Amino acid sequence: MIAENLNLEALIARWTPAESDLSINVSGLNHFYGEGETRKQVLYDNNLKIRRGEIVIMTGPSGSGKTTLLTLIGTLRSVQEGNMRVLGNELLGASPATVAELRKKTGFIFQAHNLFESLTAFQNVSMATELVGTSGNESKSRIEATLTRLGLGQRIHYKPRSLSGGQKQRVAVARGIIHRPQLILADEPTAALDAESGREVVTIFQEMARNEDCTIVIVTHDNRILDVADRIVSMVDGQIRTNVLVQRNAVICQILNEFEIFRSLTPQAISQVADKMKLRQYLVGEEIIRQGEMGDEFFVIGSGQVDIEIDGTRVNSLGRGAFFGEVSLIKQQPRNATVRATSNVACFILSKDDFQAVLDSSRSFEEELRNAIFARQ
Amino acid sequence: MKRTPLAWKNLTHDKRRLVLATAGIAFAVMLMFQQRGFRHALFDSTVEVVQLIDCDLIVFNTNRFTISNEVRFRRDLLDIAASHSSVEATIPLYMENLAARLRVAEGRARPIRVLMWDLNQDLFDDSSGEINKRKADLNKPGTALMDELSREAYGFDLGTQARFPQFGELSRKQVEVIGRFRLGRDFAHDGTLIMSLENLERYFAYRALDPRSVVDYGIIRLRPEADPQMAVTELRQILGNQVQVMAKQEFVDREINFWSRSTPIGVIFNIGMALGFVVGVIICYQILANDIAEHMSEFATLKAMGYSNRYFIGVVIRQAVYLSLFGFIPGLLLSCGLFWFNSSVTGLLMRLSWDRVALIFGLTLVMCVVSGLLALRKLIQTDPASLF
Repeated sequence: MIAENLNLEALIARWTPAESDLSINVSGLNHFYGEGETRKQVLYDNNLKIRRGEIVIMTGPSGSGKTTLLTLIGTLRSVQEGNMRVLGNELLGASPATVAELRKKTGFIFQAHNLFESLTAFQNVSMATELVGTSGNESKSRIEATLTRLGLGQRIHYKPRSLSGGQKQRVAVARGIIHRPQLILADEPTAALDAESGREVVTIFQEMARNEDCTIVIVTHDNRILDVADRIVSMVDGQIRTNVLVQRNAVICQILNEFEIFRSLTPQAISQVADKMKLRQYLVGEEIIRQGEMGDEFFVIGSGQVDIEIDGTRVNSLGRGAFFGEVSLIKQQPRNATVRATSNVACFILSKDDFQAVLDSSRSFEEELRNAIFARQ
Repeated sequence: MKRTPLAWKNLTHDKRRLVLATAGIAFAVMLMFQQRGFRHALFDSTVEVVQLIDCDLIVFNTNRFTISNEVRFRRDLLDIAASHSSVEATIPLYMENLAARLRVAEGRARPIRVLMWDLNQDLFDDSSGEINKRKADLNKPGTALMDELSREAYGFDLGTQARFPQFGELSRKQVEVIGRFRLGRDFAHDGTLIMSLENLERYFAYRALDPRSVVDYGIIRLRPEADPQMAVTELRQILGNQVQVMAKQEFVDREINFWSRSTPIGVIFNIGMALGFVVGVIICYQILANDIAEHMSEFATLKAMGYSNRYFIGVVIRQAVYLSLFGFIPGLLLSCGLFWFNSSVTGLLMRLSWDRVALIFGLTLVMCVVSGLLALRKLIQTDPASLF
């Protein structure tokens, strides 16, 4: 099981990245097509933070703006309103030199393969390495290795005319990743591929994310590859509707599943709870809640130990899996105790509204909770 | 690693299109050569007679604006020139053009150029030797040599199998053509006769009371040690304003200048060449623009990768240079053939010198590069985002 050995602190650090760990930071992004009378807004106040090394899958119906967002990230369009930092560069009003540099650090994989008919698979891929100036033999062997890995070992020196659609697409994938970009932007990279080669492509993506901290944004409708996503962003009508850190939620669900009070919830309900839960860390000795203050959060201890103090007297000690803070929320009362961390503590936190929503949605959970409170008294 | 030669690969990928492109450019090259060739033929042919004369300086009437313009000057001026210390020899050259009419039997009388001088003096570089050989025969009155490139319409048989003498009528008096020499015709002259000076009074007595007292050209040879520039300056001072003294090359340049600037002919051929150039630009533009349009998404992908506009300009310029080379070589070969054909039909001199070939190649290069850059505009302006 993950839970026992899980280093929650590391996960929290991972899930709440510092500014410098972000490879993409979008805030208040609007975008318009056309001019004057025909000007039409296609993106509405989008915000998105993506950590380095994250694999993001963007979904949404066609026309929802996901491709527009992808091209904005890739400097293929100019940012009009709002801010967008990519690999540490602000794109609003970016200079041509900055754009050129960013493009070299980015790997594009287009839906259409866009290979030169006049060049062999090798030469098409080589166009990407020549630009960043990687040296001869190393580059040559890497191109060959990559193409071989993508199942094109026998066709390295074939021209696109003699390749199937899927093979061409794989050459395009190789071209997009060969120069070790820090950011890969892919539009339906697996659409033309069979299950096996599609899997190989996403496996390569995963390795690049893990080993080279490469950030990968994939626009896709291919549910076969959803499992590689760290984050799934879905867009509707020019807006990011949901932005789910999949892996984080999976881990939280797994932890919550072990906890007594969530036993009664369906997997779907737990997932919803996990989705809404924030993670927060407290240092040893820190006060988590204070007696007499109005409470607006519900806590589940993920790791560490806390003391419950009433009127300055330690009455209890809680550990992993225990929860607190519910009484004040249910009874609309001030906190009836102070909770202090006696070690470094990681907590899962639900806001008052989210907590209420969970109670409303599940009678059994409410009962479970009441029983637990009853048992505690 | 060696850079992928994208320009070459794209150009040579579709062989059929490459052949068409080459043919199109070769055609434009040929057009330009042809127009340029005619223009040069005009100039070369016109000054050929001067080029053949072995001399350093030429004296002529200041008002004589072109070779065929019959404005003459007094012979004694040439005698004065002969006394200058730098001058080795002077040859008075007599030329009749408008009034000299030649016909055979009952045929029409046509104007012909007649050159006359003292045959004891070698006027021409005489590479053919024909004039020297026939000197004795020519001294017989009423005899002449005829340019073998003269128009057939005169009615003389001047081919290699021709038999002489042949008889005709020059200015209503009988003339005996005893042989051929080679000069070539031009836009003002359909043919040329060479006669000895003794015939001047016989045929062209109307020139003056003493027909020999007015000459068309004074041919001057300088002593080997003389400074030509100084001689020209001094002779101009001595001879006064009535006559011009010019070095041979200066005279040739003046004549060419007259035809190219003061007559519409030079302009016409320039327009013809410009048209060839425009046709070339259009053909070349079509080819390059098509190539770029067909590969637009691939080029845009390169742009998205970070390839700069400079790279694309380089690719297109390289393609343009390759195309101009491909098209120029067959164009040049074709032109050589056509020049030979034209020359044999018209009797005009059609010459291909290195500087002329270089000029047309330069124009071909400019033509291809200009059209390449025109074709590139779309790519430069294209937003790679249009790809997704």
